[in-house]
Amino acid sequence: MKTPTADWTDRSKELALLLSRSALGDRAAFRRLYDLSSGHLYAVILRIQRDREQAEDLLQEVYVSAWKAAGSFDAQRAQPLTWLTHIARNKAIDSLRRAQAQPQTESMHRDDDDDDRPSAAERLADDAPGPAALLEHASDARQLGHCMQGLSAQQRQSVALAFFDGLSHAEVAEQLAQPLGTVKSWVRRALAALKTCLERAAQRDGAVGA
Amino acid sequence: MDYANKPLADALAAQYVTGTLRGGARRRFEALLPGHPALRAAVAEWQARLMPLTLVLDEKTPPPQVWARIEQRLWPQAASAAPAAVQAWWRGLAFWRAASGFATVAAVVFGLLLASPQPVQPPVMVVLQATGADPALAGTVVASFSGDGRSAVARPVTPVAVKPDRALQLWWAPATGKPRSLGLINANGATVLARSALPGGLQGSGIDHMAVSVEPPGGSPTGQPTGPVVFYGKLAP
Repeated sequence: MKTPTADWTDRSKELALLLSRSALGDRAAFRRLYDLSSGHLYAVILRIQRDREQAEDLLQEVYVSAWKAAGSFDAQRAQPLTWLTHIARNKAIDSLRRAQAQPQTESMHRDDDDDDRPSAAERLADDAPGPAALLEHASDARQLGHCMQGLSAQQRQSVALAFFDGLSHAEVAEQLAQPLGTVKSWVRRALAALKTCLERAAQRDGAVGA
Repeated sequence: MDYANKPLADALAAQYVTGTLRGGARRRFEALLPGHPALRAAVAEWQARLMPLTLVLDEKTPPPQVWARIEQRLWPQAASAAPAAVQAWWRGLAFWRAASGFATVAAVVFGLLLASPQPVQPPVMVVLQATGADPALAGTVVASFSGDGRSAVARPVTPVAVKPDRALQLWWAPATGKPRSLGLINANGATVLARSALPGGLQGSGIDHMAVSVEPPGGSPTGQPTGPVVFYGKLAP
């Protein structure tokens, strides 16, 4: 298995260069940027927005935005793939919001029971690994994985459902059949613990946080 | 709310990057970002912390129409005239991997009957379309080879407005490998290509595609294209 961290670092330099060239209007550089990053961004989007047609539209939006905003990318402050992934995640999450705001043409309600949303297991009943499994893979990435392991199982699962699958607090609560307040505090504490753990690790390494 | 309050800024940024800040709260938070450096810094920190998680996802190759639509939206004029995947075509493997998926290359080849045993072979014409790499350089360049591939002429169908201190250089390249120069060509008339530059017969020459790049007056100093590729055409298989 590839080591995600090494891959991340290797690609970063080239992507940063390609972004800066794109900012100057170099279409060939932008094309190469697309070749190098679109597989990743498409995977990120598909995880959140499972409708392929919508996911394709979102990917298109991501690169149109990236071309226009390439000049605002600052390699001193951000990793290029982080920057691109954030754009992709933002658009994917926003697309969920819009979908919810639109009237449903096909009601999902079979009866008065509100428990008729597909369960987490049903949602993920395809070839994609579940969010918890993804976090175990993430354990291969140095500190982040280590820090993830420091979370409780419930905290990990809550963060994974929110982060990978774009679920809101309420949706996570529904999937885990837990009160909303409980889930909110799991997520909040998980993120706080993660931050503390990563900062400690960075101090230990004598490195500046990535 | 006091957005300079560090713990608050940090907590909001964490929820924003994780994706759990939703709806109106998310929109309000985004609206605040441009005016609040502390919030921006907190967001950047959380992005750096969490985004590497996404690397565990297996990449998914998007369908080719996505790039085509991106091009269409960003450069509508160039996209209609140019093939999808031609710029910097000799650089790196990614293009070669991607090429099969983006094979909307505009090319026309007449009479490519080279494998046939007839003693007299029809001429071969390769049409190179403008790529849009330089919007000022539009149109088409045609390269005609004699049937035996031992003589060839290239000419733009309409004059090409290349800058006075620049020259057009014609290249051919195999499916994988470096391009080879066919020499400089006139921007507004026919050029008889030097026999020594020709691959010496098209059959088995390995020509996969041809391109015209913009170069310094004497031609590329490196022996490889250095300027943008402004025309591109592929030989039909």
